[in-house]
Amino acid sequence: MTLTTTSFDWVRQLVHRESAIVLQPGKEYLVEARLLPIARSLGLADVAHFVEKVRHCPDPDSTRRIVEALTTNETSWFRDGDPFTALSSTVLPQLLGARGPNERLQIWSAACSSGQEAYTIAMLLEDALPNAATRVSITATDISREMVERTRAGRFSQLEVNRGLPAPMLVRHFTRSGADWEVAPNLRRMVTASQCNLAAPLPRMGPFDVVYLRNVLIYFDLPTKQAILRRVRDLMRPDGWLFLGAAETTLGVDDSWERVVVGRSSAYRPLKGA
Amino acid sequence: MTTFEDTGERRRRTDRMPVITELLDEATLGGIVEEAWLALVGDEEFLVPSLGGPVSDAVSSWVEVVGPWTGSVVLTCARPTAEELARCLLKEHAPPVLDAEDVEDALGELANVVGGNVKGILPGPSVLGLPQVGAAPGAGAPDDTCRLHLLWRGRALTISAQGSPGGVPSAT
Amino acid sequence: MRALVIDDSRAMRRIVSGILEGFGYETQQAGHGREGLDVLDGGWIPELVCVDWNMPVMDGLQFVSAVRANPAWRSVTIMMVTSESEHGQIVRALAAGAHEYVIKPFTADAIRDKLALLGLLPEGAAL
Repeated sequence: MTLTTTSFDWVRQLVHRESAIVLQPGKEYLVEARLLPIARSLGLADVAHFVEKVRHCPDPDSTRRIVEALTTNETSWFRDGDPFTALSSTVLPQLLGARGPNERLQIWSAACSSGQEAYTIAMLLEDALPNAATRVSITATDISREMVERTRAGRFSQLEVNRGLPAPMLVRHFTRSGADWEVAPNLRRMVTASQCNLAAPLPRMGPFDVVYLRNVLIYFDLPTKQAILRRVRDLMRPDGWLFLGAAETTLGVDDSWERVVVGRSSAYRPLKGA
Repeated sequence: MTTFEDTGERRRRTDRMPVITELLDEATLGGIVEEAWLALVGDEEFLVPSLGGPVSDAVSSWVEVVGPWTGSVVLTCARPTAEELARCLLKEHAPPVLDAEDVEDALGELANVVGGNVKGILPGPSVLGLPQVGAAPGAGAPDDTCRLHLLWRGRALTISAQGSPGGVPSAT
Repeated sequence: MRALVIDDSRAMRRIVSGILEGFGYETQQAGHGREGLDVLDGGWIPELVCVDWNMPVMDGLQFVSAVRANPAWRSVTIMMVTSESEHGQIVRALAAGAHEYVIKPFTADAIRDKLALLGLLPEGAAL
């Protein structure tokens, strides 16, 4: 079954709405090629079936994966830079000062996708702390089982590691594995990946000192955004840090957070007494 | 333990050079070629497998790899296909009329990119030669050849990683 | 901002220059390391050099070493752009003094990301 015009238009509108990127008519086979792996991972015959299914019953995960597959403009390593440099320059020293010497810091990469964010954090910590694996643990979650497996595997293609990953970090933290690059075992040990649906009650995790919840709230409606932020807050330490996507804010969504400037980015911290 | 004088000869007899089919499979080679095509030729430029067959007016570009495995990574296509590839590579910088040098240069660079990435998978260290263009170097043993027959825009394209006959780099 | 693009492939020089000019750079080209050094010797000092590895006459690694050996060219940022992708070779390139390394095949986005990391992406080029 080939992609219908209605379906293709739906995809174009979705992509434009969520990313401002314009898919020109005639790019049907780009949509076919990029969405085929997702359709297959869901056990569907082809892209047309997948898009029909999502079009009639949209769910945030599928719409997010469609948008991400078609808008590969942004890197996922050190995305936007500052929220990660803030971790090593400001957040980590403060947390280490506030916690006991035997307390393990817990960091959560929520909506981790293929793991680039989680391993970005792992690399930063490995470079900043001796014996990082004993001092910090990183929880990486995603609603997609496939993405959880990819995060666990820690393997990335050459095109993926070419994007936004500093070469000195590539050679320090990766080894070649066939045509791919694999994250070093000591970094993989720092990251535990599991499946988790943010829009549902969360499993017991944490309590987290730092949460990265970036570029995923945009796919949910307001009540669900509020519910997610509430659930995330419940899993955080009272003096924890929350990082959202560059264009995202809790303003107008949830007033129980205090916005804090950290370097050149913002973080959100649970408001005391809220 | 008895010590032997290192004559080199003995070493060559006992250390067999690996054949490419032990190091590289068609799927991996295909992945390398596809990434090169999507990045350099165009992000909608897909390659599909074909049955192969004779290519008339063929031209080849290749790079030599010298190391634990020694051979060449060769691209072969018809001359008009090579011109079309050059035009895609150059995009808006393509002059209205492409000269032979432009076409050979583009085809050579594609061999360089594919060859460099193939080399990256092989046991190293290896040395990558500069691209050459012309009639394809002779292939070695069948088990020392990893070959893909593809169609790009309906035109035949062959990519192969082939060991040098006799295990030494082909004379230029 | 100025960039020098060094590659023995004319097509690749055009592609890389085109990408950099799209980001607002003024570019010059050279066909191998020796020609690249001649440009610098002539007094045209770029902020950025994109240099291939395998070239005739003088290869990219030799070029990087030569630039790093000259204190007058300390301000020049060097990014290798090459199909050489062995782990050990990237280590060698960085050890010789290259600041960044882009593996061919690359996309314009890959170059843009690396320039952003280096603080060499002119304002307005990020879109």
